[in-house]
Amino acid sequence: MIDIAIETTGLSKRYGDVLAVDRLDLRVRRGEIYAFLGLNGAGKTTTIRMLTGMVRPTAGECYVLGARVDRGGRGPWLSVGHLVETPHAYAELTVRENLEVMRRLRPATPHGAVATVIERLGLSEYADRRAGTLSLGNAQRLGLAKALLHSPALLILDEPANGLDPAGIVEIRNLLRQLARHEGVTVFMSSHILGEVARLADRLGIIHRGRLLQELDIDAVERLRRRRLLLTARDSDGARAALLGAGLSPRDGRDGALVVTDEAAIARPDDVATLLVNAGHPPTLLQVELEDLERYFLRLVGMDEGEAE
Amino acid sequence: MSGVGRALWGELLKARRSRMPLLTALAFALAPLAGGFFMIILKDPDLARRSGLISDKAQLTAGTADWPTYLNLLAQATAIGGFLLFSIILTWVFGREWADGTLKDLLALPTPRSAIVLAKFILVALWAAALTLLIYVIGLGVGLAVRLPAASDGAILQGSLTLAVTAVLTLLVAVPIAFFASAGRGYLAPMGVAILAVIAAQLVAAAGWGEVFPWVIPALYARMAGPTMPPPGSPSYLIVAVTAVVGVAATLAWWGLADQTK
Repeated sequence: MIDIAIETTGLSKRYGDVLAVDRLDLRVRRGEIYAFLGLNGAGKTTTIRMLTGMVRPTAGECYVLGARVDRGGRGPWLSVGHLVETPHAYAELTVRENLEVMRRLRPATPHGAVATVIERLGLSEYADRRAGTLSLGNAQRLGLAKALLHSPALLILDEPANGLDPAGIVEIRNLLRQLARHEGVTVFMSSHILGEVARLADRLGIIHRGRLLQELDIDAVERLRRRRLLLTARDSDGARAALLGAGLSPRDGRDGALVVTDEAAIARPDDVATLLVNAGHPPTLLQVELEDLERYFLRLVGMDEGEAE
Repeated sequence: MSGVGRALWGELLKARRSRMPLLTALAFALAPLAGGFFMIILKDPDLARRSGLISDKAQLTAGTADWPTYLNLLAQATAIGGFLLFSIILTWVFGREWADGTLKDLLALPTPRSAIVLAKFILVALWAAALTLLIYVIGLGVGLAVRLPAASDGAILQGSLTLAVTAVLTLLVAVPIAFFASAGRGYLAPMGVAILAVIAAQLVAAAGWGEVFPWVIPALYARMAGPTMPPPGSPSYLIVAVTAVVGVAATLAWWGLADQTK
C-alpha cells in the first residue's frame, strides 16, 4: 500500500503573466487531514483543479493515490471524492436525484449509498426538495454528499465550511474527523481560516502567491506562534519610561496598552510587575498573550500590520 | 451499464425535469400549424382574401394545396427553424454545465468525459427525433383537418422521407454548436454562432455556393430553392457528415483537453 495519498513535484501553473502556482512540492500522507491554507487568490483552487485533472499544469506533475493525474484521464477517481469551489447542483432535480445522477457516474457505488449519505449529511428533510431551492448551507451539504457518496479513500475539499452556519461547521468538522480517524480517509482541504483548520488538521501547508511558504504539523503551530506581554498602567507614559529604563522595548498596543515582546520580559512577567511597582506605576493589567492564529498566519504571509492595531 | 448508458440516464433525467422539452415542442409545433394555415390559403386564395386572412396584394407562388407541398413545407421549416431549435437544445445540453457551474462535478469521475459528451449527443439526437416525429404527427392531423386532397402512398412516403432526412441533415450541421457551447462556456457564444450561421447561409445561398456550405445544404435538400432545382449532390452530403464529425471531435477534445477553470 502506498503511504502517500497526494504528491506533487514542481507543480506550476501560469495564466498569461500570472504565476498562479509556483513549483509546488506537496506530500500528503494517507489517513491524515491536511489543510491547505492561503489567502484568496493564493493558488489553492488552482492547485486543487490540477490535482483533480481539471487544469493542466504548466510544469511539474502530480500523483493522486499513486496514479499520475492526466487531464481527461480516468485516473484514480473511483476512490476520490471532491468538492471544488462553490458547490452547484442541477436546480431542477431533487437532492436525491442529484445524488442518483452522481451515483450512476461512479460505477460500483451501491444503490443504498444515496440514502446513507443523505442521512449522514443531515439532508433527509430536504431529500425530495429541488436543489435550486436549497439554502447556501444545504447546497454545501449536498456538495459534500456528492463527494462522500462512494466512500472515497481520499477527499479533496475546497473550502468545505463555506456557507455553513456555526453548528454546521462543527458538524462537518466532526464528520471529517470521524472519516479520517475511524475510516482511514485522507482529507485534503483548503481554507483561508487558520483558526478553523487548526481544530481539525494534522498538518498544514501554507501557500502564498502560488508558493508553499511553510509545511508543518499542527502541533508545531503552537510552538511557532509568538508570545507577547500586554500591560496597562494608570500612567502609560511613566510605565513606558520605566520599561525603557530597564532596557525593554515597549510599543503602543490597542486601547492604550503597552506591548512588550522582549523574551526576558515574557519569561518573567513577575519581574516586570515588580519593576513597574517600584517605579511607582503599578500595572492595572499584565498578561502574556499567545499570538492569535490569524495574526500568525498574516505574519507568515507578510501581511501582519504590526503590534499596533 | 456502459459509461455512456450511465451518463445518458442522468442526461435524460435532467431533460425530463426541465421545461425545455415542452418549450421546444411548443415552438416546433408552430411549423405544422403555420403550414396548415398556408394550405387553407392555397386551397382558396380568393376566400382567404375576402375573409382578410391575406392582403389583397399577396402573391401566392408556393404551389398547390396538397400533401406533397404540405410535407415539403414542413421539411423546409425543419431546415431553417429546426436548425435554430436544435442549436438551442445543443446549447442548453452542453452550455448549461458551465452556466450552472455543474461541469466540475463531471470532470474527475471514473466515467470518462467522452462518455458524458457522447451521452449528451445521444440525448440531443433523441430529442430532435422526438420533435420531428411530433411535427410529423401534428402535420398529419392538420393535413387531414384542412382536408388536403388524397395523395398516393408513394407521394406521402416521399414527403415523409424528405422530412426525416432534412431533420437528420439539420441536426448534423447543428452539431458544432455543442463545441461553441463548451468553448464559450455558456449560452451566448453558441447562440451567436447559430444566428451567424443562418445569416451566412442566406448570403452564401444567394451567391450560389449553397451546395458547399453546410448550413445551406439541408434547405437545398428540402427544395427551398424551388421544386425544379435538383437536390444537392453527394459531395454536399459528405460536407454535412464532415461538419458533424468535426463538431463531435472538437467537443470531445475540448472536454478532454482544455483547462476547465469555471
